[in-house]
Amino acid sequence: MPPLAIYIHIPFCQRKCPYCDFNTYAGREGQYDAFVEALAWDIQRTGEAMARPQVRTVFLGGGTPTVLEPHHLERIFATLHAGFDILPDAEITSEANPGTVDAGRFETLRALGVNRLSMGVQSFDDEELRFLGRIHSATEARTAFDMARRAGFENINLDFMFGLPEQSPQVWRRTLNQAIGLRPEHLSLYSLTVEPGTPLAAWVARGQVSQPDPDLAADLYDMAREMLAQADFEHYEISNWARGPLDDDPLPRFAARHNLVYWRNEPYLGFGPGAHGWFQGVRRAVVTDVGEYIRRVEAGEAYWAMEERIDRALEMGETMMLGLRLIRAGVECERFRERFGVDVTDIWPDAIAELRSRGLIEVTPERVRLTPSAILIANEVFAEFLP
Amino acid sequence: MNPDRIRNFSIIAHIDHGKSTLADRLLQITGAVSERELQDQMLDSMDLEREKGVTIKASAVRMLYTASDGETYELNLIDTPGHVDFSYEVSRALKACEGALLVVDATQGIEAQTLANLYKALELDLEIIPVINKIDLLAARPDEVAQEIEDLLGVDALDIPRVSAKEGTNVEQVLEAIVEQIPPPQGDPDAPLQALIFDSHYDPYKGVIAYVRVFHGRIRKRDLLQLMSTGAEVQPIEIGIFSPRMTPVEELAAGDVGYVATGLKSVQECRVGDTITLAANPAPEPLPGFEPMKPMVFAGVYPAEADDYNLLRDALEKLQLNDASLVFQPETSQALGFGFRCGFLGLFHMEIIQERLEREYGLDLVFTAPSVEYQVTLTDGSEIVIDSPAELPEPNHIEEIREPWVQIDIITPTDYIGTVMDLVINRRGEFKNQEYLDARRVQLSYTIPLTEILVDFYNELKARTRGYASLDYHFHEYRPAKMVKLDLLVAGQPVDALSIIVHEDQAYQKGQKLVSKMKKVIPRQQFDVAIQAAIGNRIISRANVKALRKNVLAKCYGGDVTRKRKLLEKQKKGKKRMKMIGSVQVPQEAFMAVLQLDDDK
Repeated sequence: MPPLAIYIHIPFCQRKCPYCDFNTYAGREGQYDAFVEALAWDIQRTGEAMARPQVRTVFLGGGTPTVLEPHHLERIFATLHAGFDILPDAEITSEANPGTVDAGRFETLRALGVNRLSMGVQSFDDEELRFLGRIHSATEARTAFDMARRAGFENINLDFMFGLPEQSPQVWRRTLNQAIGLRPEHLSLYSLTVEPGTPLAAWVARGQVSQPDPDLAADLYDMAREMLAQADFEHYEISNWARGPLDDDPLPRFAARHNLVYWRNEPYLGFGPGAHGWFQGVRRAVVTDVGEYIRRVEAGEAYWAMEERIDRALEMGETMMLGLRLIRAGVECERFRERFGVDVTDIWPDAIAELRSRGLIEVTPERVRLTPSAILIANEVFAEFLP
Repeated sequence: MNPDRIRNFSIIAHIDHGKSTLADRLLQITGAVSERELQDQMLDSMDLEREKGVTIKASAVRMLYTASDGETYELNLIDTPGHVDFSYEVSRALKACEGALLVVDATQGIEAQTLANLYKALELDLEIIPVINKIDLLAARPDEVAQEIEDLLGVDALDIPRVSAKEGTNVEQVLEAIVEQIPPPQGDPDAPLQALIFDSHYDPYKGVIAYVRVFHGRIRKRDLLQLMSTGAEVQPIEIGIFSPRMTPVEELAAGDVGYVATGLKSVQECRVGDTITLAANPAPEPLPGFEPMKPMVFAGVYPAEADDYNLLRDALEKLQLNDASLVFQPETSQALGFGFRCGFLGLFHMEIIQERLEREYGLDLVFTAPSVEYQVTLTDGSEIVIDSPAELPEPNHIEEIREPWVQIDIITPTDYIGTVMDLVINRRGEFKNQEYLDARRVQLSYTIPLTEILVDFYNELKARTRGYASLDYHFHEYRPAKMVKLDLLVAGQPVDALSIIVHEDQAYQKGQKLVSKMKKVIPRQQFDVAIQAAIGNRIISRANVKALRKNVLAKCYGGDVTRKRKLLEKQKKGKKRMKMIGSVQVPQEAFMAVLQLDDDK
């Protein structure tokens, strides 16, 4: 078994964005101490029960991990090291909201061993930021980026959103140009999705906001692909671009190693309310309610909201659905054979033949991957490998 | 039982006015069912009937009631179906009675559909006993409703029983009125046998059970019987009465209501409206009014999954055991594969069959647009009958097409005459007659092509009259019509299951609507999909479903793979339900889309 990956979910934000359906809560400052204590216990106890296994990536996500105080973060990292053998070259990422950071917070993270930052910038246009309900301005985002650099972060990702209702292509181009100008190592571009139950969904339902137009989103995506290619960003996953020499390697140097664990369908543990894990053939999710999470950890009870055993056939399907997201790497045939003892092409001969004839995938002895025209309609491909 | 002590009656009521509740209450008071047996709405036995609140099939039950005169009477309640497609069955059930209860909701007053059945009953000279129900409700206005009934029927408002079937209030009065006012059956038990079949059902052990009302003569178990419309002879397995369960008796005599277990294998051999007589001593003539059952509406029925073909056939065969008006034969479609061409009495009947197939047999089905039966004279002088667009010959082989016309009778409040007239005339209807029933209500009669009332006519009528109009129709005649076949092409390929036969004058407009409807229904795919409507080689309308540009889940946040996979599985499941036309995926709703052409205004 390869070394593990660990995801830690901090379910708090200063304010909840109207499009967001992640498991995160605003106005819960009073819960921070108890939560961090439970989380620390949880991490340490789990790690010790597993005899302190090796860990190659850690991802601190949310929510907004940077709403926590330095002593909270210190406590989490202390137990992380107590419970797990964090490898010396491990990638340790923290998400950060440009509106909740200062130089001190960055220095704390650096000091705790965080070596990658992922900042939710979303846009460099103040009007769009207001629409998205973000707590920061474009200028604050740039300042935060500079601060992070000064604190010593040499691997920074910036998140952006496109396909906002009636988004102006010019504004999107400006955002991208400014992002490129900052020279981050990594960029994630996500198209805005109207998730049920969010304020955004209610606005759309009432007609106050128009439904995001998928054709516009497709145009904006194509624009980004072109601009980022020009700027020497490697498009290595459907929503992700990274810098770094490529040569023969299908993955750029600054590819997100933690996310690669997901895309290669390799094992990870999840800590915190609503966190997901995939370990020894079972997918699990922790209860989403923070109070309930704390209670169950304190009581030493199981806290799973979902447990799903994945049989071999489904695991192969999931491996395709995830691996095909990697643009150049795709699903590597050798890796697949080693893991499952069969060839990809022997498992799905009909689906593969049909997808090839429709020009949606290409198959070489090394790999199966999406064709450029399939990237934006990749669901059509993924579904073929699922039951 | 001495015929003088028999009362045969049915109940006429609008949906929801409490027919079933009143019937249950009568059964309970007369002890026909015990408290324990009384499940709500005993008479409506099919699930679907309960849910739709209407009676689909008629049913009968016998009660014994000791009246205030000290005598015990046999009361036979014959239930009637409650929908426009079954007006013939209603008339046969009424024919079996001497009287009818007219149940009127004290909060609603008389509704048009009730009137339509009331007139049927009056035509058959039934004694009408009005009953005002639901007096327990706060909104009840029994005095007004009584006055309304007095104006309509000329009975004294003060004599009308006011009841709450739900609470049992004054229901005894209804029983007394039945005994006092409904005449006992007249008939000569010693004359040759004439028994009317007013309903039937299939029993796996006893074959078809004919529900009968004996008018003259008697039926004994050992008698060899004859069905007068076909001449077929039947040796009954059992005869009996409904009390309310089937209970064998030795004899049914003039005036009685009961059943004959015929041993016949299908209800088609034992038609509602037919007369049973004795083979040895037949009546000189049958009872009047028999009409052979004839389906008027046809549609292709296909399993969504080709593997379900045999299941569908078995299910249709089972339904047909109990439904003489359902016919079907195998049919093949390029688009939909193997299925059946089914004939129905009307759209409501079709809907019921669809729901029963889906619900009781768990089938996932595609129904094509309904069609009527056309008579076609070919240029070589030969005659054919077609009920499917696919069967329509090329125009150059057609001398003449004739389509069925029906007479429709609409009862509506006078306020809506204009809008009803407008609706009918726009659908090629011709005005026949207008008759005021009272100061506020009028009966409008028209002739109209059947095909024009198939799609959305009844709903539109209801919408235009705020639900106050009733519709009754029956076949009138075949008339020549300029009909053409409208084809729909997807990606250049004609889709047989999407063709419809339309009147030439409407072809252009329908073609446009069909194309724009298809454009909405067919999802975007990898490539542009051309949709065209054509008459012969002439394209009359076209549209393009633009290629799908974006269908990808952006984010797999925090490793939540399960959610993502489930979304994809759902997308895939939706796709599996689609039919492939060449390389184009067409959802099943497309095949029913023709039904909704008039929705988008």
